[in-house]
Amino acid sequence: MRRLFTGWNLLLALIFLILFFAVVYPILTIFTASFLHPETGALSLKSYAAFFHYPYYQRCLRNSLFVSTVATLLAVAIGVPFAFFLSRYHVPGKNLIKTLGTLPLILPTFIGAEAWLILLGRNGLFAKLFHQFGLEIPTVYGWKGIVLVFTLQFFPFVFLMVSAAINAIDRSLEEAATNLGAGRLRVFFTVTLPVVTPAILSGALVVFYLCIENFGVPVLIGEDFRVLSVQAYNEFISEMGGNPAMAGALSMVLLVVTLALTLLQKYWVERKSYAMTSLNPLEVKRLGPLATFLIWLFCAGIVFVALFPFAVVMVSSVTKTQGPVMYFGQWSLDNFIRAFTIAPRPIVNSFFLATTATLIGIVFGIAVSYLLVRRRGAVSYLLDILVMLPLAIAGTVQGIALAATYNKGFVVLTGTWMILVLAYFIRKAPYSIKTTSALLQQIDPSVEEASINLGVPPIRSFIRVVIPVMLPGIVAGAIIMWVTTLAELSSTIVLYYGPWATMTVEVFQRIGSGDFGPASAYATILILSVLIPLFILNRVSGKDLASSL
Amino acid sequence: MRVELTGITKRFGPLKAVDDVSLAIGEGAFFTLLGPSGCGKTTLLRTLAGFHTPDAGEIRFDGRLVNDVPPHRRQTGMVFQNYALFPHLSVFDNIAYGLRARKVPRREIEARIGEVIRSVQLEGLEDRAPSRLSGGQQQRVALARALVISPSILLMDEPLSNLDAKLRVSMREEIRRIQQGLKITTVYVTHDQEEAMAVSDRIAILNRGRLEQVGTPAEIYFRPESRFAAEFMGSSNILEMEVAGYDAGSALIAAAAGAVRILVRGDEPPAGRIVLSVRPEWIHVVPGPSPGETNCLAGAVLGSTFLGSMVRYRVAGPGGTPITIEAHDPGERPPVGDGETLWYRIPPEKPVVLGR
Repeated sequence: MRRLFTGWNLLLALIFLILFFAVVYPILTIFTASFLHPETGALSLKSYAAFFHYPYYQRCLRNSLFVSTVATLLAVAIGVPFAFFLSRYHVPGKNLIKTLGTLPLILPTFIGAEAWLILLGRNGLFAKLFHQFGLEIPTVYGWKGIVLVFTLQFFPFVFLMVSAAINAIDRSLEEAATNLGAGRLRVFFTVTLPVVTPAILSGALVVFYLCIENFGVPVLIGEDFRVLSVQAYNEFISEMGGNPAMAGALSMVLLVVTLALTLLQKYWVERKSYAMTSLNPLEVKRLGPLATFLIWLFCAGIVFVALFPFAVVMVSSVTKTQGPVMYFGQWSLDNFIRAFTIAPRPIVNSFFLATTATLIGIVFGIAVSYLLVRRRGAVSYLLDILVMLPLAIAGTVQGIALAATYNKGFVVLTGTWMILVLAYFIRKAPYSIKTTSALLQQIDPSVEEASINLGVPPIRSFIRVVIPVMLPGIVAGAIIMWVTTLAELSSTIVLYYGPWATMTVEVFQRIGSGDFGPASAYATILILSVLIPLFILNRVSGKDLASSL
Repeated sequence: MRVELTGITKRFGPLKAVDDVSLAIGEGAFFTLLGPSGCGKTTLLRTLAGFHTPDAGEIRFDGRLVNDVPPHRRQTGMVFQNYALFPHLSVFDNIAYGLRARKVPRREIEARIGEVIRSVQLEGLEDRAPSRLSGGQQQRVALARALVISPSILLMDEPLSNLDAKLRVSMREEIRRIQQGLKITTVYVTHDQEEAMAVSDRIAILNRGRLEQVGTPAEIYFRPESRFAAEFMGSSNILEMEVAGYDAGSALIAAAAGAVRILVRGDEPPAGRIVLSVRPEWIHVVPGPSPGETNCLAGAVLGSTFLGSMVRYRVAGPGGTPITIEAHDPGERPPVGDGETLWYRIPPEKPVVLGR
């Protein structure tokens, strides 16, 4: 037994070492850099002074907070009724609406942004369409466009969390209120809504976080409307080797915001939520035909508007294009042929990097889950925090931190593919750890002991009894890691160099240069690569793909 | 196999979960570790299985020191409280698990599983997943899985605690029957004294990690050595009285509580206080005082519960401490109402003089 403990401790030490060099040290590096004078390198508050002196930088923070707040409010305004309608009332095509309704949150946001550029950009489809009738319609650029894309892509988080909370309510709760003399509205406002409120808050915080950390949408359609993540990126790359101090300072501001949100979520909202086990779920009511039609129209309409852009991207990938001009109705496979023959490298890169990062993430995830669940000790709490920390760091910030840390010194990784894998696996491993440890928690430790008791040594017992039971979680975690890595733009854009451009980078750059056809081709490959594995996962395990995010 | 424990101590931080326990368990015995939760019984059992290494003391199986033998080489068969069935394996594969680990030939695995499945009456369920079994069936699979490897000791950790009351009774009889048939040394952990009495050859009562008393169920019931043993095994009235005299000729102690005096058979006690244990069923309800009869007492009824086969009275006892009296066959006599006086007699030879 004692020898084994040393083995586990060695593993623990190794994991802490990885986390230190992949997460803590890089953040410390930009933290330090932000306090250095950009020219002299002496200790200085110049960057922070600049941040507070120039309205320009403060406006970035204000803009970030503004779009995130508006998009969050809208996502709640859509997500809450969406959840209530689908959970409590009979809606035709409910299961399809539910499944499709969760899709936006796994589809890459920058592809959503691209689609809206195709539709509502300067040369957009709608602009031209309305122009024929002499009408001018507003374009998608600026804060309104950002809010539009955020709202449509992130409302499913509110929907999912609120649905889960509603489904956890036992019928007796409302019946008790009715029995005590409360009318229908009173029951809703005094019992149902308060019980669901923590879930709404929780969903809202997640949406707010996703908005403020997002890079792809504001960089593509924000134009002059600069947000924090985009500005940090600009500072970092604009004057190459230029102003790491300012990029560091902006990253720190963004980090403070995202960390605060995460802490708020962990220590306030999670404490407030009510643990319930529903024996008899709420009754699903059937409304009159008109009311049923109206709520169906609302739910189906939202799903349509949220998914329509992705259909547009897929259609435009097989449409004849010339720069930003699309000849809709004229079909062509040119975009794909060009992608596969002239520039296949990004496709290979994406799959290679995602697969490598996922494989490392699986091993890392199993080890961390086991240590967290089974070998709880003095440092488990710290391990839990460190391993989940990347979820609270914006991709741009993480990318800048890694690039700034490993561009000189003993280990030079910046400019290699390895730094991409490092960033991916450390950012996505939390998903694997969540799904794996959730399953591990359900297996009583005595199952493992039973195997040992029956004569199988500890390590073999782990492989033969624990791994098979964790397998669904491992697979689900791996698929989520893989698809989110494929779709990762914010850290990639900072860390990649020439030959290691991924499909996400390719889409981003092609849109930048107005090359919408090839962009759509790569985007379509990405969409399919994300949807197909999730579809298979859903079919095989019946697992709700989004529940693991 | 014989099991000997000498001076076993196991600490968890500052807490001594098991404190200097020495025990000898004979070949083929059904031995029960009995005590309230947190008394160290499960820790002791897991130490036998090898999941805990004792901080002090020796564990010997048939005289061989096994302290440093890892759990997978101890050849014990353990039945866990929550059964710990492998959720991804069928009933058959669950039971075959230990045999396959021992590289038993396939033909023999099938034969041995067939046999054990018959003895625990699980025929026809071989291909079921554990999640599709009832609690009692899961219990049988856990038992079969532990038995099929022909363990040198069978270890059972509160195996019946997750079953409903009726099933608990029938399963404990079945466990006893199987154990008797196989003559396998068994260590059984429970907090249920009735269960312990029903199945055990010998019982060890544990309290806060320490051994209170070891003996057959009857020994512990009729001759508890401590107040804890008397109260934990069955129910007991504990009377604290003053020694008022001793007659060596008749070996009777005169014990007093206020104005009440009773005679108790026993060795000469040291002067001062004496602690007696009197089981409720040892006290007889009598119609009233009769001349020449000793130990006839009266007390006001504080409350009573009708239980069919008996009435359980709560009565003001000697010195005013409430005591419990069970009047069997209550149809014989009219019930005594609350506040009325109940006459009862404590036969002098019945009370147990407790050391502690």
